[in-house]
Parts: sequence; C-alpha cells; structure tokens
Amino acid sequence: MDYSQLLRDYLDDAEECVHAFDSALLSLEDGGSDGARTEVINSEAINSEVINSALGALHTLKGNSGMMGYTSLKDFIHHLEEVLKQTLEGKLEVQAGLPPLLEGSSIIKKALQDIEKSPSSPPELNESIMDLESFLANGSSEAPRREILDLESYLGARTDTVKVSFNKLDDLLSLAGELVITKTRLGAIESAMRESGNKEEAAVLKEALESAEKTISGLQEGIMRARMVPVGTLFRKFTRMARDLAGSQGKKVHLVFQGEDTELDKTIIDELAKPLLHLIRNAIDHGIETPAERRKKGKPPEGRLTLTSTQESNYIFIRVEDDGRGVDPEEIRKKAVKKGILKEEDTPQEEEILDLLFLPGFSTRDESTDISGRGIGLDVAAKNMARLNGQVSLHSRKDEGSAFVIKLPLSLAIIPALMAEAAGEVFAIPISAVEESIKMDEKDIHLMNLREVAMIRDNIIPVLRLGGFFNLKKGFFGGGKLYLVIVGRGEKRIALAVDRLKGQQEIVIKPLDESFGRSRGISGASILGDGRIVLILDVPGLWEEGFLSLPRGAGLS
Amino acid sequence: MGIKLGSSGLAEDLGMAGRDELQIVSFNLGEEYGVPIGQVQEIIRIGNITVVPNAPAYMEGVINLRGRVLPVLNLRRKLSLPANGTTKKSRILVIEIKGKLLGTLVDAVSHVLKVPSNSIEEPPEDILDKETDYITGVCKLPKELVILLDLEKLLARENGHEGGPDLQPDAGVDREN
Repeated sequence: MDYSQLLRDYLDDAEECVHAFDSALLSLEDGGSDGARTEVINSEAINSEVINSALGALHTLKGNSGMMGYTSLKDFIHHLEEVLKQTLEGKLEVQAGLPPLLEGSSIIKKALQDIEKSPSSPPELNESIMDLESFLANGSSEAPRREILDLESYLGARTDTVKVSFNKLDDLLSLAGELVITKTRLGAIESAMRESGNKEEAAVLKEALESAEKTISGLQEGIMRARMVPVGTLFRKFTRMARDLAGSQGKKVHLVFQGEDTELDKTIIDELAKPLLHLIRNAIDHGIETPAERRKKGKPPEGRLTLTSTQESNYIFIRVEDDGRGVDPEEIRKKAVKKGILKEEDTPQEEEILDLLFLPGFSTRDESTDISGRGIGLDVAAKNMARLNGQVSLHSRKDEGSAFVIKLPLSLAIIPALMAEAAGEVFAIPISAVEESIKMDEKDIHLMNLREVAMIRDNIIPVLRLGGFFNLKKGFFGGGKLYLVIVGRGEKRIALAVDRLKGQQEIVIKPLDESFGRSRGISGASILGDGRIVLILDVPGLWEEGFLSLPRGAGLS
Repeated sequence: MGIKLGSSGLAEDLGMAGRDELQIVSFNLGEEYGVPIGQVQEIIRIGNITVVPNAPAYMEGVINLRGRVLPVLNLRRKLSLPANGTTKKSRILVIEIKGKLLGTLVDAVSHVLKVPSNSIEEPPEDILDKETDYITGVCKLPKELVILLDLEKLLARENGHEGGPDLQPDAGVDREN
C-alpha cells in the first residue's frame, strides 16, 4: 500500500475520531447545565458512558498517530486521555476538565490540518503537552488561553471517501448478476429470431445486446472493485499480536509484509482473519525458536515472520513463512505411527506426511503451549479454507523454516467448476477441490471393508457414487465405464464416481434458501446459460458429513 | 408464463379489517384451499424442478425464476396430505413472505374469488389446535368449502417442528394405508 493511501486512511479515520470526541465533550457540557436533563436520574452513569466513548475515540487516534510516526501528537493525546481518566475516576470535576479538553480537540484538529498540508513534518506539540502536564499536576484550569484558531480548522480535513454499508454493495452485486442472466436470455431470443427468419430485427437486437453487455460487465467489475480491500488492512492487525505473543514466550519476532496492497473481496478478507490468526500463532508457538536456541543455530536472535500476498490468474496466494525450526517429517511420521494413523511399514511421501498436521488433534510438540494447544489451529484453518473453496498446504525444511500457503479463488461469487453428470443430474464440482479425473472400468472398483475403493497409482482411494449418495435414480454405467473425480487432498481424498464429465465452466454461486436445511454435500446452486439450475457440491461437507458418517455399504450401487 | 397478479403485498387483506370482502386465490390439493391474493405474486407452470438431495421431504426443489433460484415447497407434503404426482394442471404459486419469494406446488389453481367476509367462519374448534393454527378460517361458498391458509404461520412451523413425526418424509403416504 502506498504511503499517500495510508495517509488518507489515517486522516479519514482521525476525522471520525475527533468528531466522536467532540460530540462526547459537547454532550458532557450539556449534561452539566441543561435544565431539560434534570429528569435524568443517574447522570453520573451517563457521564461515565460518554467519557468512555470519548476515551475510545482518543485511544484509536493515539494508536494510529503513533503508527504514522506522529509521536508528539500521540503524546499529547495521551495526556488528554489522562485528563479524561481523572474525571472518570472522580478526581476531577467534569466541568473543570472540559476547558482543556475542548481546547485539546482544537489543537488536534489544527495538527491534523498541518499533517494534511505537509505530511512529512510531524507537528510539534511540546508546549501544549506541558500545559496539560501542569494542569494535571495542579488540577487547575490555569492553562494559558490561546487565541481562537483558524476558523477553518473546525471543518477538519477534507475527505474523499464515502462509507457504504457492505450490504448495499452486496445487493448491487446480486442485481448486476441478475442482469447477466437476463442478458443471456435476450441472447437466446435473438438467436431464435434469427432462425425464424427475422434477420434484420435480430441484427438490431444483437447490436443493442452487445452494448448492453459492455455496460453490464463494466458495472459488475465496478461493484466488485468497490468491494475490494487491500489485504494490508488485515495484515497490520497482526503486528501487535505477533509481538505480544512472541514476547510472552520469551521470543522475538519481526513481522514483515509483502504484497500487502493486493486487493481482495471484503468477504474473503473477513473469512481470512481467523485462519491467518491460527497460522501466525502456530508459527510463533511452534516455528520460531527462543533467541538462545537461534543463536546456537547461527541464526539472528530475532525471528522473521513474513506475510506475503500474491495473485496468479484467478487465485490469490497468501503465504505465512517463518525462519524457525521447521518441521521434521520423521518426527511426524513417528507420532502418526504412535497414534495409529500410519503403520510402521507405510512409506508415505513427505508431502503426505506434512498433510497429517492438518488432521484434528495432531501436534508435533509434546508439551503444547497454553495458547495454540494441541494443533487445533491448523485443523481449523484448513477447514475454513476448504469452505471458501481454497486450500492450505505446508512446505517446510528442518531448521530453515516453514511456509503455510493458502490458495483461494479470487472471488467467492464466481468460481471455475467441473460439470459432472450422475444419474441424469448435473453437479458442479469446484475446480479448486479437484485433483484429477480418470476414466475407469467398473471392474476396477473393488470392495474393501464393505466400502468401494479404487487403486490409483498405488494409492487406495475410497469411492463415493454421487448418484447413490444423493439417492438419485440408479445411474447409468455405459459399458461398464465410469469417471472418477478425485477431490480433496492427502488423507481426505475421495473419488466421486460419476457417469459423464461435461467440461469446465465459470459459475455464479447462489446460496440455497435456508428452508432446505443443511443439505449434506450441497453448498449452493448456479444457473447455467440455458436456464438450467445445477447444484454445487460441498466437497469438505461430502467428506465429513457424508462419507464419514455413512454406514459402510451405503452408497454402493 | 401464466397469470401475472398484482404484486402489492396487501397485508391488511389478511385481517380484512373494515372490509366486507376478501379476494383470494383458491387452489386444489384434493380439498380446496385459499390464500389472500395480496400474498401471491404470480402463478407459473412447473418447468424443470431441480431436486435438492438430502433436503426436507416437503421441499420439492429449486426452479429458475428469471435468474433467481426459487425454492419450491410441496404444499401437500407440508400439510401431510397424501402425495399426488404432478400433472398438466399442476402450478406453482409464487408467494412473498417476509420479503422472501417462495414457490408452492399445488395440484391446480381453481379461481380468483371475491368472497364476502360474512361467508368466512372461524375454523371448527374440533379441527383446530396449536398444531393447525395456520388455518385461519373456512369460506362457505354455495358449492364448496375453501380452507383459508396463513402460509407464514405454516412455514414458521418448520423451524419449531423440524424432524417432528408429522414432517417425516412418508407421513403423508402413511395416511393412505
């Protein structure tokens, strides 16, 4: 994110804080003298609520100012906070505290204006700080009165942003989506006209349609862009958390951001927050070593944690990388054997071993810290990402560090999907979940433990017949051939058996009405160009709620 | 596409306060039922219904209503009436409830009626209990009886009674035996 954008955000925010602070002060002033308020029984309680809201506003502004490097302003606000706290604690009469507070608000406004004019020269407020210090020491409002400031300062800094509730943007986006579908219908009408001989009219309609198409896609893109937020707004929330968390374990961590101006749909940013929190916590708890340990390994005592965001075609990649102790696959393998997840004679690939870490309740450290506990975090992160049609994977080297990579579709609303037909119904399988698809002979599906499985390159993968699972009419298995779509990853791979594959397509996700309840294995619906509705498969749901809970033998044909 | 009706949600029609007649859409489910016309947005023929697997049995599926994924309720199943497949006469009433659109599958749409309010009686007490509070009245017409439904109340039931014995998939079928 470039600095000028950061500055603008800061000023916009500051404007709001000062405004909130001002209104709180004014209502305090009213509360003391306004006769109409005599009915208020407990004015003290109301006052303390107002003071708390003023404190909240100041606190935000103080934090932001500190972050922007305006130290003097930060200190000044800190002193204002002290004054407010004294009134809250009853050490100072509210009315006595008001004059310096009101003046303080004007001083902040002036300082913000100066910052807007020349951001590179931080305002100096030493004199005002000293005034407040002496006020706090003497409890008197003898602070010298200054002349009234530039009247324009009351207007505050000018902003060029508008706050819009996200719901409104969401509504606009779905309206634009409906336009796209209407456009497709009109296209069908146009070709029908052309075929029935109305060539001229069809041509006119086609021309109009083409221009409508441009407008519609511009509209859609514009709304999508308005929903985008730089990922840095999320990254920065972790700075303090990482520092404090590391500190509590006697570790030092430097958090570095890369590509933090990559923009993402706000819904994705919101959904990313918790999984990222788990990954960062995991990196600090398990990855980064103590300074002493690091010195022994010849690493700098301060650990480095890098958050990177990049975009590649339709996917966004978020990397959480540490330079800590890394993961020893052998250690995980031993643990998995001990837990009975692996057998001693199994020889899984390194990648598959690392995937075990995402299983519920799997952890590499024997004494888990009080914070991230038995590896619960990784499991949660993986599950959340799967819900967004994304994936998490781990790359690691012993003693060099680990990197968790989150891969997400760029938009939650439109995803590429593989269309597959089972028992006469077409289902959309999000491409992000698909590993591969294979044509198979019916006779190559075997029974093992009363469950159908297929051997794919020496791996045994359980088979789930979509038609059977969804209780559809019995599928048709043309000539004993069927297609297996391998979805999920690592231990959670399953092969969905379908009758036919019908190619790949971008689909617009529409949620199903809640009256359908929690339809196992279905995450939504989409309308195809020909008006038909297809259901979108919920791959993690298929695995968890469907496959695991299914009695053995069910779903067999 | 069918008959397009006024889309203004005349909530007061439900109460009929100060009115001497009520306009209803009546439809057949073996018996005659009716809902206030203000709730009905339009009546459409059944096209392709996409079945949603693992959904409650009274949910018939989804249809594409001009680019919108419209859920369709099977009213017979919801009312635990004997099942009856769809025919040429089957229709979907598109209803607006609490700002949401819902399709309800019925055997046939009979009439749009203006009924004098003095022909509407409270439902007989012996058929009325807490479980059937969605029946708001019975309309006595010269040739037939029309049972007036409050669809909002009927739908609200699904939350409170989900999985209750009366909503099991085959409850309606059992009655036939």
